[in-house]
Amino acid sequence: MNDTVTDSGTLERLLAQVALRDRNAFAELYRHISPRLFGVCLRMLGDRGEAEEVLQEVFIAIWNRADGFNPTLAGARTWLTTLTRNRAIDRLRQRHADSRTDSFDFDSLPDEGRGPAAHAEASEDYRRLEHCLGKLDPKHCRSVREAFFTGATYKELAERSQVPLATMKSWIRRALLQLRTCLET
Amino acid sequence: MTTPTDEEDRDLRYAEYVLGVLDSDARGALEREIARNREASARTAAWSRRLAPLADEIVPETPPPQLWTRILKALEFSAPTAGAVGPWHSIRLWRALALGTGALLAAACAALVFVFVSRPPVPPIPFMAATITETDGQVGWTATMDISKARMIVVPAVPQAVQPNRTPELWLIAPDRRPIPVGLISTHVPITLTLSASLVELLGPSARLAVTIEPRGGSPTGQPTGPVVAAGAIGAAGAAPPTAVAMRLARPTRSLV
Repeated sequence: MNDTVTDSGTLERLLAQVALRDRNAFAELYRHISPRLFGVCLRMLGDRGEAEEVLQEVFIAIWNRADGFNPTLAGARTWLTTLTRNRAIDRLRQRHADSRTDSFDFDSLPDEGRGPAAHAEASEDYRRLEHCLGKLDPKHCRSVREAFFTGATYKELAERSQVPLATMKSWIRRALLQLRTCLET
Repeated sequence: MTTPTDEEDRDLRYAEYVLGVLDSDARGALEREIARNREASARTAAWSRRLAPLADEIVPETPPPQLWTRILKALEFSAPTAGAVGPWHSIRLWRALALGTGALLAAACAALVFVFVSRPPVPPIPFMAATITETDGQVGWTATMDISKARMIVVPAVPQAVQPNRTPELWLIAPDRRPIPVGLISTHVPITLTLSASLVELLGPSARLAVTIEPRGGSPTGQPTGPVVAAGAIGAAGAAPPTAVAMRLARPTRSLV
């Protein structure tokens, strides 16, 4: 079973139980959400060993920090995904400069991942985001997506796209502001 | 005075943090700010809500089973001791038998006494392992037996959920014998079970292990009362070190119990 068939209410209930140190709930949460979170680690890190290490850190953090989950700020799936992405980004920053950036085929990313994972029904949130991304300048949209899926810094994104750092910053910042406006209307 | 541009700039920093485009120093500074500033935390959460759905595009992948065990070890979830050893080894059971009031548990006792008197001791096999497969074919638990120390460690391969008032119980199925309770195990933490000398004698390549779901505290009758959820054959590990034991999978059948 994975999270595509787990409603967010279930995840929120499990996280609340984990906050109360319920190990059974922790095991159930792992069953539900670990495939999604492992997918995120694999995608961002591109290395199975590192993805496993980061996923282990993520679940230790979930156990230790579940009491910090606030469902009024973000849903459980968002919280868990964000926690995982942050750990993966931390791991990417720890890597020594450019140890693997050159070997990663970024050109394959924008189209390869487009659309929800084949078996999943697109969530309402995803559909709205995709709609808003579609209204952006294609270059800006591509940069935002690449940043999201690879955890690259502005500097790395600028190098990959062979544009000045200031240009990349301006693309992404403009795109983020347009997204905020679009998603709030 | 906050101009709209300042306001946008400030909000964009949280967006950049969530998107992940900042370098380590900038990330660290923002994390400290988010930790102590409620508004920063709320703005960051708002950006997470906006951007995180993009992760729906990522194809989920089940992590390898040993990762769960590593997480449990890292969290130092220790096996419960009292109550985890099951009716066979429970002090209450022995006390009940000693007092002659263990009528319900007589079946377990009879089964063991029967095999104890009828079966000559076999040469002990130093280390054995059984992979207990769930009936859907997935590995449920791995049991590793350290005969020299008369103990068995049962590790759940994947976390599983059972009803709150239920618990998985491990049984030894020796040929032509009634099931012998080995102990209560866990769906989510490794459990170490102490084996009686008579139980150790029955462990061997022809014996099997099965898991049933029983009321909390274990089967009230000393015999399985719930459904068989997993079963597997015991195999001699031979000369392999304990970490590299050869696993023998058995096709689980309901006729085990």
